[in-house]
Amino acid sequence: MISRRALELATTILTGSFGVAVVVSSLDNGIGWSSAGVDAGTFPFLTGIIIVLGSLYNLVRGLRPVASLANVPIAITPLELRRLAGLFLPAAIFVAAIPLLGMYLASAGYVFAVLAIPRHQSVPRALAMAAATALALYVVFERMFQVSLPHGALASALGF
Amino acid sequence: MENLQELLHGFTIAVTVPHLLLMAVGVLLGILVGVLPGLGAPNGVSLLLPLTFGMQPVSAIILLSSMYWGALFGGSVTSILFNIPGEPSSVATTFDGYPMARDGRPTTALATAFGSAAFGALIGVILITFLASWVAQVALAFGPPEYFAVYFLAFASFVGMGGAAPIKTVVALAIGFAIAAIGIDTVSGSVRLTMGVDELVKGVSFVVAVMGLFGIGELLVAVEEEFHARAVSSKIDWREVFRAVGRLPRHSVALLRSAAIGCWMGITPGGPTAASFMSYGIARRFSRRGRHFGTGEVEGIISPETADHAAGTSALLPMLSLGIPGSATAAVMMGGLMIWGLNPGPMLFVDQKDFVWGLIASMYVGNIVAVALVLLTVPVFAALMRIPFVVIAPLIVIICVVGAYSVSNSYLDVVMMLGFGIVGYLFKKLFYPLAPLVLAIVIGDKAEDAFRQSMLLSKGSLGIFFANKLVTCLIVGGIALLLLPLALQLARLLRKPAPSTDGTAVQEKVII
Repeated sequence: MISRRALELATTILTGSFGVAVVVSSLDNGIGWSSAGVDAGTFPFLTGIIIVLGSLYNLVRGLRPVASLANVPIAITPLELRRLAGLFLPAAIFVAAIPLLGMYLASAGYVFAVLAIPRHQSVPRALAMAAATALALYVVFERMFQVSLPHGALASALGF
Repeated sequence: MENLQELLHGFTIAVTVPHLLLMAVGVLLGILVGVLPGLGAPNGVSLLLPLTFGMQPVSAIILLSSMYWGALFGGSVTSILFNIPGEPSSVATTFDGYPMARDGRPTTALATAFGSAAFGALIGVILITFLASWVAQVALAFGPPEYFAVYFLAFASFVGMGGAAPIKTVVALAIGFAIAAIGIDTVSGSVRLTMGVDELVKGVSFVVAVMGLFGIGELLVAVEEEFHARAVSSKIDWREVFRAVGRLPRHSVALLRSAAIGCWMGITPGGPTAASFMSYGIARRFSRRGRHFGTGEVEGIISPETADHAAGTSALLPMLSLGIPGSATAAVMMGGLMIWGLNPGPMLFVDQKDFVWGLIASMYVGNIVAVALVLLTVPVFAALMRIPFVVIAPLIVIICVVGAYSVSNSYLDVVMMLGFGIVGYLFKKLFYPLAPLVLAIVIGDKAEDAFRQSMLLSKGSLGIFFANKLVTCLIVGGIALLLLPLALQLARLLRKPAPSTDGTAVQEKVII
């Protein structure tokens, strides 16, 4: 279970640290005024400061309990968390597999895995859908629009 | 009268067989992304973007804008038949549309929605026809300070009128600006904010951000509540269609009021979502049958639908005449304009007359095409909703991955897209608005350039933003909008603490 408060907190930390990174990184470009006008780092520096200040404000707001309808105490229930993981983790594995397997194999494997393993579809149907996905990608991108999708390290090792 | 002549010329460009076909294709694809949860107008349009690079700009914009109209209509179909809003801007349509359809009048609900939507769009296009070239003419005299002031006003109006928590809006905007700054600085040529990753020199494309924020993010929100499509009958009774549209003029007050709200929210970048909610809320307050809202009232469908489409259409006015998009989808289209080599802004009306008036004329025709096609295809797309979500979700993930990759054949983009997905999910869940973030990514560079050029002109003095009446008005207006939420809060504190209406809580749930 993840509370609304924890989620608010995590998000403000995320935005806040992005802000800090922007501030630090923009200092390299110089902030302020030089002979060429406003230095390149000035604008990002200011936006970084705004992000940090805004995140701090949201952090304080998120910590303070506010009784209102929109401020439900529980943001994500265990069941919802399972569903989220069930969608996101396979997607992340799919993306991680692209450099090795290439877009076609990885997407076919992804479709097959998410349909057949939790038994949403029978194995032959999942196989058919996986093959259809890869084929559709190939026809639309490689053939119709001449966009080359990554073929993967495995395919190039095998000499494709 | 000059405008009408130009418009007629535009019709000769828009009403040709290839362009009518493009409109039909665009509308159908639009309805598809509008109907599917997890795909919306912004990422639908950015998916199509790489496919338009070989086209004439006017053909490309006709395809993309038709897709936008289709998506706006498609979102209403699922709202009414399934109580599942396909687009954030059609959430308010579910309040009265679904009850009416459930009570056995789905055709009436759909026809009322489409009829009023078409009316809203028509008012929006008429406004563009007569106002856009005038605004552009005024804007031709703008220098960098005026431009920066207009950008400032646009961003401030998000904070003041967007409906989300003001500081969350500010954070979202600033993050967008920072992302826009990543890569090579156009003024000095130095590399900024790459944080040691060499590949980031090329910058972060807004398409990648949109795919993640709206595509993956929305999918994650949708998967949480595993919905079951309990459809009401999707059969269309054609005689009832005409009867329902014939009854619309009886509600002309609601129609006109909602169109006005929509146009206002579209031009000042409040966006269609905020417009439809505001219009619904106002209608409930002022309608004689306000107490019956939520049980299938006709005006409860008319008000959000008219405002939604009026806002969606008029969002193109500032995009064309000033180079400031009024909604997230308009921002994506403007990104397209820049990729096609056009410079959005007043010069379009001078240099690219065929493009501008071809587009405006196509908006008249495209909305008619959209109404016809959406009525004809309701049963088809309703059947699509019966495909289980577990099958659709991985396909949408693949579409987003391939879409992000094909922007610049970069694997890093795919990884970033996934990261944006997590951010999009968190932001949606916690009511950070996404539209200003996308807008800032698209026009952040231009706003920064305008600021730095102004500073060069004034040798570093901020006084240039108060140098003449126009620029002072714009800046003061922007500051007023920034302070508006603060003023409202103070006013509320001074009055007795009133019990908050349930409407605002519902609204917070869906503001993107």
